[in-house]
Amino acid sequence: MPPVRANTLNPPAARSRPRSRSWWRKQVGLLFVLPSVAFTAVFFLAPLVMTAWMSLHDWPLLGARHFTGLQNYAALLSDGNFWSSLGFTAKYTLVVTPVLFVLAFGLALLVKRSVRWVGLFRTAYFLPVVIGLATSSLLWVWLLNDQVGVFNAGLAAIGVIREPFQWLATTGSALTAIVVMVTWKMVGLTMLLLLIGMQAIPEEFYEAARVDGASPWEQLRFITLPLMRRTFALALVLSVIGSFLAFDPMYIMAGGGPQNSTITTVYWIFKAAFVQFRLGYAASLSVVLLVILIAVSVVQLYLLRDDTRY
Amino acid sequence: MLGRRSVTTALAAGMLVSGAAGAKTIDFWIRAYNAGLAEPLVKAYNASHTDQVKLNLVPNDQFVTKLGTAIAGGNPPDVIAIDLIYVPSFAAAGQMENLTAQAKKLPFFNQLSPSHVRLATYQNQVYAVPFSAEGSVLYYNKGLFRQAGLDPNKPPRTWTEVYNAAKKITALGNGVKGFYFSGACAGCNAFTFMPLIWASGGDVLSRDGQSATLNTKAVKDALGFYRRMWTEGLVPSGAQTDNGANFINAFTSGKIGMTGSGAFAISLLKSKFKNIDFGIAYLPGQTSGWSSFAGGDSIGIPKGSKNVKEAWDFIQWTLSPQVQTEILAKNDTIPVRADLAQNKYSKTEPRFVTTSTAMAKGRTPYSVHYNELFNDANGPWLSMFQRAVFKGEIDQAVTEAQSRFTQILSTPAPGAR
Repeated sequence: MPPVRANTLNPPAARSRPRSRSWWRKQVGLLFVLPSVAFTAVFFLAPLVMTAWMSLHDWPLLGARHFTGLQNYAALLSDGNFWSSLGFTAKYTLVVTPVLFVLAFGLALLVKRSVRWVGLFRTAYFLPVVIGLATSSLLWVWLLNDQVGVFNAGLAAIGVIREPFQWLATTGSALTAIVVMVTWKMVGLTMLLLLIGMQAIPEEFYEAARVDGASPWEQLRFITLPLMRRTFALALVLSVIGSFLAFDPMYIMAGGGPQNSTITTVYWIFKAAFVQFRLGYAASLSVVLLVILIAVSVVQLYLLRDDTRY
Repeated sequence: MLGRRSVTTALAAGMLVSGAAGAKTIDFWIRAYNAGLAEPLVKAYNASHTDQVKLNLVPNDQFVTKLGTAIAGGNPPDVIAIDLIYVPSFAAAGQMENLTAQAKKLPFFNQLSPSHVRLATYQNQVYAVPFSAEGSVLYYNKGLFRQAGLDPNKPPRTWTEVYNAAKKITALGNGVKGFYFSGACAGCNAFTFMPLIWASGGDVLSRDGQSATLNTKAVKDALGFYRRMWTEGLVPSGAQTDNGANFINAFTSGKIGMTGSGAFAISLLKSKFKNIDFGIAYLPGQTSGWSSFAGGDSIGIPKGSKNVKEAWDFIQWTLSPQVQTEILAKNDTIPVRADLAQNKYSKTEPRFVTTSTAMAKGRTPYSVHYNELFNDANGPWLSMFQRAVFKGEIDQAVTEAQSRFTQILSTPAPGAR
């Protein structure tokens, strides 16, 4: 039994005094943050602790569970499928992130200025973001379909292809199709983040630069880009996390195929839990993925840190 | 006077209460796929019994997960009907009530679908009984057979005959293809491709389900047969990426000569695609013989059910002649009792006789790892199929699958101790 510690924060003598104004203010402040603390505790911390606890067990979906210590972690070290899924996830992230960024940056530049109809364009680019990822994956399955899909019909109409093309039949074309779909779906969000960053830069900076004879390229290079460092960091971290957690498009569009070439880490975790029914093992994979994601995010935030004070 | 009335009222109320307390609610889970069968069944039971069955249709893919969660949460359903291939792993994990004593007392126990009973038996104990039956067969489009100059009353009986027919039908052109299979669907190809191996003397697992037997001539020849039809364009190119969404839709388009499917498609074709004149034959072996995948659902009681007795009464009722004939057969489903296979409804639809015979003599692989081996879209069974059929690497595909099967079979059943 641990020794009983003296309550140093609230000595009995202090309690007999009337509560000070600042004490009450603190309590009220605590009340205000309580809902989000409770929310985080219930929906983030509790599942996290539970996952970590599960990862220390042989925990089948059906049947009895047993404490096995770090055995799951030892097993995942030699799980080739896990590491290759991590490799594919990294490759996918490296492909989709630059595509998303360059396109979103271009779109943000286009819709930055307040010209006629700009609201319409902003809405149009942002619209796919509000569809669920699973829904848009399913939508694209049919858009890419060889019999009824519009892409094949369009390509055939302009004479690019003769026979319907099987988008999801080879690794390269399946990955391309997924990247295009995700870009279409997510570019609006990145555009919006970058747009907000761009609009936060005071117009005076550009005016001063123009007076000094800076070209539009120089304005972009020396004002926009450096001042958007923090926005870039935010957008990049969000995008990389999203890509590392990719599952729905691979599951719905390609079923992990062809030949299991599009299995992401989350997909492999899903399989461990719901195909092999090894919940404990799946939990240990999730914990490792979480650690990897934290490390990747820390590195990104460090590289894109901005210590300048304006 | 008043006093006497209130006493009577109180007595009546008491009787009502005790009557209500005596009636149990049986929580029955079934995959949504079987709604058409389960709904009339439950309705009929509730209309004729004091105990009431509460039907819960669980989305097909989520059944095992939801059940696992319910059992872990200490609130399992009283009765479940599950894909028969799951029973060995459920039984191995200690999740099913042992029904050996009750089941063997059934006077018609020997008439129950043998594949179902075999799959429901784990270490000589019976954990479920058949609920619904399904057998895979070869569907062929008689109209296209006629157009291609083939005899619509002589369906192919060997692989060469299938190939020749497919070739003639494909030659009709206009998007018509001779054969169809869902190339990215693991379950579909267990159902319709595996029988080709069985019918030719091969198998995928040893009889006891403990070892893989893929590295054989029968398996390689069957893969080679599909490969040939694929490379010669007798199968639509969309087959390669079909994850099962078009399993039967391709045939209902009227542009497919032949395809493997199950008895379930008969009523679908009859009710919604009246223009398609179709015949049903057995899935043939390489040079002779035929086989079928005996599928369907088994019904049992999960561990932790609070109404085991009532649950068994309900299960027993589902096997009665009344239910088997007036609910199953009437709704175009094969009865699970051989002694009821021939009934007044089967006589009006001769095609059902083929599916019932196919099912009764059909086979099913037995494994506590069935899901991982055969049903997983990324598992070794489908990987082998795709690599062999679409890439032509038959030997490598079979060797790889044999070793992945062996590795999976060497691990203990999930949850088993």
